[in-house]
Amino acid sequence: MDHSEFARLCRARRRMAELGEEARPLGEIAREAGISRFHFIRQFDALFGMTPHQLRMRERLEKAKLLLAAGEQSVTEVCMEVGMSSMGSFSDWFQREVGAAPSEYKRRARAMIVVPGMLPEPLFPGCLSLMGRLPANAFRNFEEAPRSRPF
Amino acid sequence: MRIKLTSIMVDDQTKALKFYTEVLGFKKKHEIPMGEFRWLTVTSPEGPDDLELSLEPNANPAGKAFQEAMFAQGIPLAAFEVAEIQKEFARLKGSGVVFKGEPMKMGPVWIAICSDTCGNLIQLYQSV
Repeated sequence: MDHSEFARLCRARRRMAELGEEARPLGEIAREAGISRFHFIRQFDALFGMTPHQLRMRERLEKAKLLLAAGEQSVTEVCMEVGMSSMGSFSDWFQREVGAAPSEYKRRARAMIVVPGMLPEPLFPGCLSLMGRLPANAFRNFEEAPRSRPF
Repeated sequence: MRIKLTSIMVDDQTKALKFYTEVLGFKKKHEIPMGEFRWLTVTSPEGPDDLELSLEPNANPAGKAFQEAMFAQGIPLAAFEVAEIQKEFARLKGSGVVFKGEPMKMGPVWIAICSDTCGNLIQLYQSV
């Protein structure tokens, strides 16, 4: 892939990640990038490991989780803000992806907030800080680590 | 003190495990469920067996922003040494890996930069 196409696809990724009023349909973003729709989807997937649509849905999910955890908006408002028009499909999709309904996720995330203004702990990534949450004997025997899945 | 573990952020651990093992050819070392994520590490079959690369989730918005900016600037976030760069280039390209250009000679090394499909550019290099 040459530098120009690489740069245009990086820009297209930023455009696809935009939600709400700035969001543009895939066809328009492919045109902006100067790449045919078919080739755009294929190259996007090869470079970023997901299709443009998958990226957009992923952005929506992450934003929805953050907004729900912040607790300042209703589930309906969050649904609208991430650019989904149907509450029913928003809830079903969220439940499928996260394993909890939006209202349930909001309630649980709220309960975990410790420091005002900070993100609740479950929204922080694993990173190497995951190491600190490994069981005491983890570095002797990883296989005995307990299974847990809060969400 | 020794270097035993290093890490790279990935946007999806399942996808990353697949890419780093099935495409690049590393071996899974540890996979421990940690809530929503996993403690996930790989090693190289070319050794050493106890030098691990952790594929860590980039769920933190700050990590994501960093990763995306570095990617767009063409800066690799990891570098792996290979014995024969032209051979690796051809092999990976055949598996659908996207490279930024052909392998090129830069000072004491040949390098080739490719996407790991998990949000990073990685650099393969061969000493001249």
